[in-house]
Amino acid sequence: MPQLPEPLERLIQELSRLPGIGPKTAQRLAFHLLRADRQRAESLALAIGDVKARIGYCERCYNIAEGSLCAICISTRRDASLLCVVESALDLLAVERTSEFNGLYFVLHGVISPIDGIGPDQLHMPQLFDRVRSEGVVEVIVATDADIEGEATAVYLQRALIPLGVTVTRPAHGLPVGGDLEYADELTLARAMAGRRSF
Amino acid sequence: MLLRRLQLRNHRNYAHLDLTPGPGVNLFIGDNGQGKTNLLEAVAMLALSASPRTRRDNEVVGPVAAATRIEAEVESGGIVIELAIALTVEGDRARRVIEVDGVRRRAFDLPGHFRVTLFWPDDLGLIKGGPELRRRFLNQMLVQVEPGYARALAGLKRVLEQRNSQLKRMAAGDGGGDVLEAWNEELIRIGGEVSIARARAVQELEPVAARCHSEIASGERLEIEYLGPPANVAEAVHNSLAEDLRRGSTSIGPHHDDLRVLLDGREARAYGSQGQQRTAVVSLKLAEAALVAQRTGERPVLLLDDVLSELDGERRSALLRQVAGAGQVIITSVEAGPFPPELISSARVWTVSGGEISTCG
Repeated sequence: MPQLPEPLERLIQELSRLPGIGPKTAQRLAFHLLRADRQRAESLALAIGDVKARIGYCERCYNIAEGSLCAICISTRRDASLLCVVESALDLLAVERTSEFNGLYFVLHGVISPIDGIGPDQLHMPQLFDRVRSEGVVEVIVATDADIEGEATAVYLQRALIPLGVTVTRPAHGLPVGGDLEYADELTLARAMAGRRSF
Repeated sequence: MLLRRLQLRNHRNYAHLDLTPGPGVNLFIGDNGQGKTNLLEAVAMLALSASPRTRRDNEVVGPVAAATRIEAEVESGGIVIELAIALTVEGDRARRVIEVDGVRRRAFDLPGHFRVTLFWPDDLGLIKGGPELRRRFLNQMLVQVEPGYARALAGLKRVLEQRNSQLKRMAAGDGGGDVLEAWNEELIRIGGEVSIARARAVQELEPVAARCHSEIASGERLEIEYLGPPANVAEAVHNSLAEDLRRGSTSIGPHHDDLRVLLDGREARAYGSQGQQRTAVVSLKLAEAALVAQRTGERPVLLLDDVLSELDGERRSALLRQVAGAGQVIITSVEAGPFPPELISSARVWTVSGGEISTCG
């Protein structure tokens, strides 16, 4: 294969390290950037640099933050007695978009998975328990995924949090809004039936 | 339940196959090694999502390319569905992509769209062989008729991997007994789903299998007992901790389940003759097809791989009685010998040779 100039080769290699980008896509992106005007390319480089320089994790809830605390932890309008535990900052965003929740968060950045060597310490759970003990939390909503690891993590948290004197809840499983009953998958429908409420 | 059309690309020794089976009995005749079992394997994969023959998906990929595609048009309750399984070799594994009516689905969402009862020589060891054969018997049936069972089974496997990994960490002095407790609860929850489904299925199977066995074996009484996890699972899991830590694996759970088959009150596995055991196997398989029909209101496609030549006398007749008027049946055999002329005359007969199938009347 003909040798590409070293800077281009290096760019291709860096791009191909990104998730979901294979060698072919990396080549295409690199050549696209090569053709793009200088300003556009530099603006991308600057954005990447800025993200790494200015964005870190909130030291209270581990959400992404510009500074030592995230926007949610800084806000005075949030209800500090409610704490929602999520697996990732993206899950936090999803809950935020509902505008249904006005409490604070705790982002685990993962789930308990012995196979991957991830336990409570890697997920900052000791800090979570400290917060619950010291900040007047009344209810912890454990909003981890409904897959095997997410459920096990929820069970672990439930067992660890109840002795601290808080209420521990889990979001309900149910039918998608506007969805046809007949198209719901069987497990979702079964759980929705089991968790039915009276009017 | 009807398999209307089957297309294979690079599946084992089939480079390309486009088959339109008939709605009744389809008889595939061919020498050993020509592709009869490979054909049934492909059909069974559409029902089970994985090969019943191997755990390693990449084994079914043929020599022509690094990918296999199995496509079928099936009819269930008057509705036609298109199913597809595509396998792409990646190293020593294969990536599996499953489509139902052109929409990508997860592997555990495929079973239930197309239902089969598979009976092949492996099953003749159902009584005599290890408990994993009897668990597989229950699993293959249940994934097709019990909503959520395939998912629970996949979940159970994952829970066991995680719990065993945690046991090994603890044994190595890593602590984490509180984490293990969480996995214990998951094991009990998801294990409960699996064993409840199995216990119910065995209750439904027993009367049908018993009636069938009694007919073939002039009144011999067949009983099946489900040997599942102990009634107080939580306590048993708790009590097994020391043992589990020592072995680094989980000793309580449905992954150790078994079935006990009794003939006139005596364990068939230990005391039954080969003939008695085979009668019991035929009875269990016929009961399986009956349970699927009962639960779903539709007969499964019956797949019989070379078993008739292994059976004799009343056992063969019982199976053939079931075959006549059983809806769609796909039978493979080395020769047409074991089949009564009236069956052959009403069947669609095909010959299988070197990965090619041709019709012969």
